[in-house]
Amino acid sequence: MDVDIGFIAITALTLGCIYALLALGVSIVFASLGMINMAHGLSFAVAGYGAWATAQWLSTAPWAVLGGGMLAGGLCGLLICSVAFIPLHDKPNFVVRSLVATLAISLLGVQGLLTAFGPNAKSLPPLFGTAPWTWGGWQIPADKGGAIVCALLLMGLTLLWMTRSRMGLQVRAMMQNPEGAALVGIGVRSTALTVMALTGALAGLAAVLLSQTYFVSPFSGTTPLVKGLIVALAGGLGSVPGAVVAAALVGLIEALTGAFLGGQYVLITQFLFIIAVLLWRPRGLGGLLDHSRE
Amino acid sequence: MSAPVLQVRGLSAGYGPLTVLHDLDFTVQAGERVALIGLNGHGKSTLFRAISGLTDWQRGSVQLGGREVGGQRSGSPGRHTHRIVRAGLAHMPQGDAIFPGLTVAQHLDCGAYTSAAWRQRRQRQEELLCVFEPLRKLLASPVGTLSGGERRMVSLARGLMTPAKLYLVDEPSLGLAPKISRAVVDALMQIDVGQGAMVIAEQNLALLSGRVNRTLGMHAGQLKGSA
Repeated sequence: MDVDIGFIAITALTLGCIYALLALGVSIVFASLGMINMAHGLSFAVAGYGAWATAQWLSTAPWAVLGGGMLAGGLCGLLICSVAFIPLHDKPNFVVRSLVATLAISLLGVQGLLTAFGPNAKSLPPLFGTAPWTWGGWQIPADKGGAIVCALLLMGLTLLWMTRSRMGLQVRAMMQNPEGAALVGIGVRSTALTVMALTGALAGLAAVLLSQTYFVSPFSGTTPLVKGLIVALAGGLGSVPGAVVAAALVGLIEALTGAFLGGQYVLITQFLFIIAVLLWRPRGLGGLLDHSRE
Repeated sequence: MSAPVLQVRGLSAGYGPLTVLHDLDFTVQAGERVALIGLNGHGKSTLFRAISGLTDWQRGSVQLGGREVGGQRSGSPGRHTHRIVRAGLAHMPQGDAIFPGLTVAQHLDCGAYTSAAWRQRRQRQEELLCVFEPLRKLLASPVGTLSGGERRMVSLARGLMTPAKLYLVDEPSLGLAPKISRAVVDALMQIDVGQGAMVIAEQNLALLSGRVNRTLGMHAGQLKGSA
C-alpha cells in the first residue's frame, strides 16, 4: 500500500489547527462564562457567508475576505451573547438554560441562512494563490499552508492576549472566581461581550480557512461544532493548552483514518478517541497540564 | 465640608427569606479607621457584602463619597459590584476570593483595574511588597498553593493595588495563627488611607484596641454601642 507520510502529516496539521481554533472558542467561552455555546457552529456558518459576501460585493483581496469572515463571526458572537448570556447569566439553572438558548439560536440561525441564501453551497476565491509552496524537498498545497500559518498565528496571538494583556488577565480571573473578579472591578457582562466577539472571530477565521477546501453552506457549521466540542471535551473543558493538544491528536486521527480506513470512518474513530480519553481521564487531557486546580 | 466617605441610611439586607441586617444607619468620615466588632453570624460580613452589592437582596441608601450605590434590589447578587468597586470601594472579603490558578504577581495586576493604576502597577507592587514582605519570594507561585496567611496577604495586597475611598477588610485575623494575624493587622495599620477610610470587621477586639479611631458593635444585625 502506498502511503504518503508527508500528505498525512500536512492534512493532520491543517485539520488540527482548524479544530484547535474552534475548540479554543468553545473552551474559552465555557471557562469564562460557564456556558456551552451550541451556537458556535452558527458563528462558523455566518462567518463563511460574511466572507463570501465580501468576496462577492466588496473585494476579493485575501485580507478583505478573511477580515469580512472574522467580522461576521465576531458580530454573530455578540448577538449570541446578548441573547443567551446577558439576560440569563444570573438566573437559576443558567447552565441548562444557556445550553437550550444557544441551541435555539443555532437552529433559528441556520434556518435563517437557508432562507436568505438558499441551500446551494458557495465557494470562496482562493486566498493563498494556487501554486503549491515548496520548502526544502516538501510541497505544501497553498490552501493548507496558508491555513496552518494563519491558524498558528491567530492562536499564538490569542494565547499571548490571554496571558499578557489586562483584559486576558480579567478573563482568566473571571474563570476562576466570579465573585473575586467582581471585587476587582471586572464587569461580567462587558467581559462576556468581549469574549464572545473574540471567539466568534476565531470561529470566523476557522470558517474562512476551512472553506478553502470545503464550501460555505447553511449547515457547514454543524460538523465543525461537533468536532470543536469533541476537542474541547477531550482537552478538558476550559483548558486552553488541553484544547490545543487534543486538537492536534484529533486532526492526526482524522488524517490517519482518512488515509488507512477511508473517510466514512472518521467520525467513528474520533468518537472512540474521546470515549477512550474520558474513560482514562474524566476531566480531559487538561488535568495533566494545568498545574493548579482547587 | 465634603461628603462623608460612607453614609448608610436604613440599610436592610439578607439572603432569600432571611433578613440579616435591620435598618442600619451609620457614617464613616474621611481619614477614619473604624473597627466593626461582633460575634460570628451577627451580620458583619453581610454588612460589607451589602455595601458591595453581593447580598441576595437589599434596600436603603448607601452613599460612597456622596454617590448613591445602594438602593432597592432583589436578586442578581454581584451585578453592580464592579461599578461600586470602580466608584472607589476596596472590599477584602472573608475567604479571600482568590483566583487559585493565577500567580501572586498576576493577582496584584488584577487589583490594578483602572488604567492609571495599571500603568503604575510595578511601582505600587514594590510599595506593597515592602509591607507584605513574605510575598516577595512567592511572586511567581500560583496562589492555590499558598498557605492561609499568605493568601490573606495576597487578598489584602490585591485590594490595595488601586487607591480607593473606602477599604472594607473582613476579619483579617480569621483562621490565622496569633503571630501572623498580628503581622497582618500591623500591615493594615501601615497603609495610608489618605482622604479615604478603612473599616475592619473583627471578632478579636484586643487585636485592634487602641489602634482605630472608633469602634462599632454589631449584634443580631443591628449596630449596638460604639466607642
